[in-house]
Amino acid sequence: MNFGSLSHYLSIEDLFATQERLPCKFVVPVHRLGFLDPSSENEDIAVGTTVELPYWLAQSLCSRRCNIVKVEIPKIYKEAYREILKADACVVDLHKFGLFFYEFGAYLSRLEHRDSTEIGSVLVQTFKERFRQVMDWAHNSGTDPAVTQRLDSLERALFREGHQTRAQLDAWLSEGAGQITAAEMVINHKKRKLAVLDDFC
Amino acid sequence: MDPAEVEFLAENQMVSIVPNFNFERIYLISGDVGPFRAGLPVQVPIWMATNLRQRQKCRIIAPDWMNTEKLEQVKEEESQSRFFTKMPSEHYMVEGHLLLGAASEDIPHADEIRTILKDIWDMRMSKLRSSVDAFIKIGGTHAKLDHLTAMEINSIRPLLPHALDELYKLQKIVRIISI
Repeated sequence: MNFGSLSHYLSIEDLFATQERLPCKFVVPVHRLGFLDPSSENEDIAVGTTVELPYWLAQSLCSRRCNIVKVEIPKIYKEAYREILKADACVVDLHKFGLFFYEFGAYLSRLEHRDSTEIGSVLVQTFKERFRQVMDWAHNSGTDPAVTQRLDSLERALFREGHQTRAQLDAWLSEGAGQITAAEMVINHKKRKLAVLDDFC
Repeated sequence: MDPAEVEFLAENQMVSIVPNFNFERIYLISGDVGPFRAGLPVQVPIWMATNLRQRQKCRIIAPDWMNTEKLEQVKEEESQSRFFTKMPSEHYMVEGHLLLGAASEDIPHADEIRTILKDIWDMRMSKLRSSVDAFIKIGGTHAKLDHLTAMEINSIRPLLPHALDELYKLQKIVRIISI
């Protein structure tokens, strides 16, 4: 099944999100890869061994075509934690849940797991619930910077954008556009530098 | 966009001035201005008006909406309505800001006008915030932006479009899975 790309191929956030590890249970014996499991001395991986694999590896090992491992959903996306998010998403410290809560969750829900739909809809719901809070924080210049500690990376990016816009608007409201300055490109232009030098000579 | 860029766009609005000098008609790309006759009102863009005013070459006549009665009425309407009401000018905040900043002596009750403008602005901003929140919560796909001015729209960009992008990505995944 092809879902299309979520974000840019070279997006660093995307790469980090797919680095997150997932507990995987091997359903077939794998020869000569025993070193993947640091707790065992065996050369082969036996059936039933649980190893933490990064998402990008787990994904290709659990597809319908080559069914080698069975993926366990991390606990923050499990029923109990989903209930917490459903109850009140605004009070949750998403940063503790995971730095890439939404991205990783989105990737997880692409795995053909029975909870996939549930996880997807919890992500959408959580985002909607928390957006107001993020926006309010961003639009208050007096916001304590510590609150961003409670946001995941996606929300934090939105917060930063909103905060910056707000700061510009406040600056304009209090003193107007101020001095017009030359663009950096113009200042660094060679011709202009030469012209300035000529003046001195 | 930067607020300064919105201000730049708003500076093309016309305003009446009374010059104290004589000058020929000026031919500009955006249109002709003048001729200037001392003591006779003439329409010029705001950027020119503020510049002339700073050099003591003219007196600015406040736009007809910029008086306390009219603005009180606008404010009253705005507070009564659940939706955004039509503002007397597409750039009311910028015009107020520029003209009151450059020529507060020329405009009667400048301080009161400043306060009322700020009240209207604050009211509309809080309306904007709550409607953005409602828009995201119900998962709306389109919104009518009637009567919102450029500066107000600019104040929620790029936050809202980016949030909608992210929401769309998440929703797309849910849709694909549930098929």
